[in-house]
Amino acid sequence: MHELGVANEILDVALSEAERHAAKKVTSIRLRVGVLRSIEPENLFFLFDHIARGTPAEGAVLEIVEEPVRVECEACGVSEASSFTWECPRCKGSGVKVTGGDSLSILSLDVDS
Amino acid sequence: MRTDGNVRIDVERSLLQSADEAAAAIRALLSERKIYAINLISSPGSGKTTLIEALLARFDGKGGVAVVEGDIETEIDAERIRKHGVQVRQINTRSSCHIQPSRLLSVLREMDLSETRLLLVENVGNLVCPAEVSLGEDARVVLLSVTEGDEKPLKYPLVFRTSDLLVITKTDLLPYVTFDVDRVRRAARAANPAVEIFEVSATAGSGMSTLLDRIEALRATKN
Ligand SMILES: [Zn+2]
Repeated sequence: MHELGVANEILDVALSEAERHAAKKVTSIRLRVGVLRSIEPENLFFLFDHIARGTPAEGAVLEIVEEPVRVECEACGVSEASSFTWECPRCKGSGVKVTGGDSLSILSLDVDS
Repeated sequence: MRTDGNVRIDVERSLLQSADEAAAAIRALLSERKIYAINLISSPGSGKTTLIEALLARFDGKGGVAVVEGDIETEIDAERIRKHGVQVRQINTRSSCHIQPSRLLSVLREMDLSETRLLLVENVGNLVCPAEVSLGEDARVVLLSVTEGDEKPLKYPLVFRTSDLLVITKTDLLPYVTFDVDRVRRAARAANPAVEIFEVSATAGSGMSTLLDRIEALRATKN
């Protein structure tokens, strides 16, 4: 249930930003989440809904921008994969290095002032 | 500004920022005192406490060892370690499935670390949540027992990506289980080319001294 910690962090950031901008309500929150974070969106949405109740972020919609796994292949360069892999998704070579896909950040939020 | 009263605020902030700030404070505290810290991560039952006990035996008399045990509810592991006569603190994480760096920081501030040279932190037993947050450690050690299966690096890549050492444990059981060591090595290397991989059996004793030698050498880099 690591989504609970993530949900708490999202709520903290959203509420403090809303307060800083004197907003009454947070209506949506955009996140960038790397595939390597193993976040289950449904789980995250459910938990966020629950903990946001009674706060200015109650009912806010979470939008996830998924970041693919970035793979650098010795043979054919850079490509992307939808899950962690030790084989190049393009040429199936084994000389690969995973160089991205672990983002976990809040990009922006929409508020009503 | 989109419509009346509706504003988009650009934030672009890592959700790990506050955790990272606490981890940086831990790192500063440790480096000021020249304490080498190891964060041990694995599924339950992979041998973290056994490795800690081996390290206690190795470092006995070579500089104080302090242990922080993370567990959701119990004190069982802390009791086991306390018998070795070292300073040990328990963090019960309750609703959290990993040790929060802010929590570790306040525990370290309460401890007497004047004689401590090595800090061992046993994280809560799972491969997902502890992988997400840095505790300001010098080395992150992930343990994977051969009884857990060789799919783990594919299912939980983040922990393999962020660990400095991978310790494959219970290798004396290899003849009885389906576990392809090379497959795990390849996956771990793809996730992190710099990872150092060790194969050990605490019961048969194989590989343990190589691993302990390496940890001792790493520890010595912080004198
Ligand atoms: Zn390729």
